[in-house]
Amino acid sequence: MKVALITRRLEQRTLLALLLTALVAVSVVSLLVGAGTVSPSQALSMLLGSDDSEAYFVVWELRAPRTLIGIAVGMALGVSGALLQAVARNPLAEPGLLGVSAGAAFAVALALVLGASAATLRISVAQLGALVGCLCVLGVARWRGVGNDPIRLVLAGAAFSALLGAMTSMILLFDQRSADEVRFWVIGSLAGRRLEDLWAVLPSMAFCTVLIALIARPLSALALGERMASGLGHHPQLIRAMVVLCVALLVGAATAIAGPIIFVGLVVPFIARAFAGPDIRRTLWFCLPIGPLIILAADIISRVVVSPSELPLGVLTALCGAPVLIAAVRARRLPML
Amino acid sequence: MTLRWLKPAFRKQGAAALVSKHSSIGIAAHDDVPVKPPSGYWRLGERSGSGVSILIERRAVWVNSVLILALVLAGITYLCLGSLTLGPREVISALAGQGDMMTGFMVQELRLPRLIAACLTGGAFALAGILMQTLARNRLATPGIIGIDNGATAFAVASVVGMSVSLAPSAMALTGAVTAAVLTFGLAAGSGTQGYRFIVAGIGVGAVFGAITQLLLARVAIDTANAAYPWTVGSLNARSGGSVQLLGIGLALGFVAALALARSLTVLRFSEATASGLGINTGARRIQILLLSVVLTALAVAVAGPVGMVGLIGPEIARALSTPRHVPVVAATLAGALVMVLADLAGRTLLAPIELPVGIVTAIIGGPWLLWILMRPQRSHA
Repeated sequence: MKVALITRRLEQRTLLALLLTALVAVSVVSLLVGAGTVSPSQALSMLLGSDDSEAYFVVWELRAPRTLIGIAVGMALGVSGALLQAVARNPLAEPGLLGVSAGAAFAVALALVLGASAATLRISVAQLGALVGCLCVLGVARWRGVGNDPIRLVLAGAAFSALLGAMTSMILLFDQRSADEVRFWVIGSLAGRRLEDLWAVLPSMAFCTVLIALIARPLSALALGERMASGLGHHPQLIRAMVVLCVALLVGAATAIAGPIIFVGLVVPFIARAFAGPDIRRTLWFCLPIGPLIILAADIISRVVVSPSELPLGVLTALCGAPVLIAAVRARRLPML
Repeated sequence: MTLRWLKPAFRKQGAAALVSKHSSIGIAAHDDVPVKPPSGYWRLGERSGSGVSILIERRAVWVNSVLILALVLAGITYLCLGSLTLGPREVISALAGQGDMMTGFMVQELRLPRLIAACLTGGAFALAGILMQTLARNRLATPGIIGIDNGATAFAVASVVGMSVSLAPSAMALTGAVTAAVLTFGLAAGSGTQGYRFIVAGIGVGAVFGAITQLLLARVAIDTANAAYPWTVGSLNARSGGSVQLLGIGLALGFVAALALARSLTVLRFSEATASGLGINTGARRIQILLLSVVLTALAVAVAGPVGMVGLIGPEIARALSTPRHVPVVAATLAGALVMVLADLAGRTLLAPIELPVGIVTAIIGGPWLLWILMRPQRSHA
């Protein structure tokens, strides 16, 4: 029995290492492949030491920041999806589906129209919007009966995000200049993001890492039920509040950089749970490589498919994520969290 | 308005006797004994001796008259307001072909076609909505929510982006709507259509088609994409004359078909066993209703884009006003047209000179409404 458990642990370690290797490989591919004229072989020879200023510029100034941002966004979205699912006790609770990203996008659009433009301001506004969205969703989930039915909560979230989306479009109609700026951001894309955007979100992501390290244990106790958790000496309300804060900070940061990208927070924990089992701590570890893997893979595809132009990333994640949602809904029993 | 054709008793005696307590009328009329109509109904034609009589529900007559009146008033307001405000008298004389050229042009060439398009699309969306809701026995199962609008939009955008034939959007929208309907119903085959699972599966299908629409728009030149943008959120600006005519014909035929199906609809609200016990060929009826709903949605989407919330709001209003005895097909159509006219009026005038696409207005009204439906303590749907 014990031996089996240990081998299982080992297997998971190997799996995690494999995933990390895959992530490195995908990152390299992300540096090599693009929609522009610099071919993979050109980029490769530049990386191996040849002197090609065009390739140098494209790879290090355009593709490298984009890859780093993709990794950060993937981690943030994957982890926040797993956290929100754990705290809502609902395997379908996804920040994008439930309107958290839409809240962030709405806040950013509002701020842009009111005249804000600095990157850091945009991030804090997005995080504030995500926080409000998150509180609304969990408020609805605690409403009698809604939270008990995972699918009903998703439906309420879909209605909520449709409403917020319509309001965002309405705001953008007021201001054509912001509309042109925001229209592509609203779909979700990694194109044209600068490294400074990433530096601006790093403090809040670091803060979230510390917070998650603190609450991971109590959170897995919360999975046993509220009374069990308080019996074990934890404070369910406090844990929940901290999780909400984390989700809001992470989703707000990711949305501020890349726009609202839906379904990633659904797909990533879905796969992670398949590898890690029901334990939230292991799931979170698995989310860390899987999230960036999916985002980078989708981003690479988005550059290649319609080259020389690019496909918005949000389109691809929706195309991959919606079938997962349908499969989850079709399953006779949803796994309870 | 509920027209009830009571056939000669010897034909459908068994079924008629089961339908409701009113079935005694059919038999009594055959015997030529005057019997009072059931409370709340008027009866026409009982003295003709032909064995045919029509029961008209009084409440339905009132509701529909009020809705028609409201629609006419809203229509006149619609024609009055805009960048240049006209008086009701001016509008009416312009409609009659009198008054000065400028007003006549504005009313007859600019505002009236748009009003007609609003009425037709609103009516079609709402009619499709109530048909689908009754079919699925699920109050949330409107074509807009279960992804059929998005399917039609994706295919129609493909036609707008790819080719420039005026008939093509309607045909392509139809293809897309059928594809989405087949997908949603096929994917939900295991779990039935009554629960929330069906709806979420439909949302998933809708998300796929929404992504395909974005994909198509990302591939074309920015100007084409900008031109198609208001249409993808639902707007009466981008309509083409051909698709409006097609919608007009389709809605007229579909409305008659829906009236013919109204009786089956009433019974289909009950369980499968009850419905077939009452003499309804449920399989065939379901396919007819589904087809009708999908065709109406597709034709309306080809005109105005996905304004699916009307398909939720119209039937809700109609059901709130009517008695639960029948499926209020006519009232839903009228209410949908009214909602669409008012929403487009609000979108045109509230924030002038900016024009809000009607899809955004209906989403802002319909979103909270949908949330309210979801948050209420659970009851039976449809």
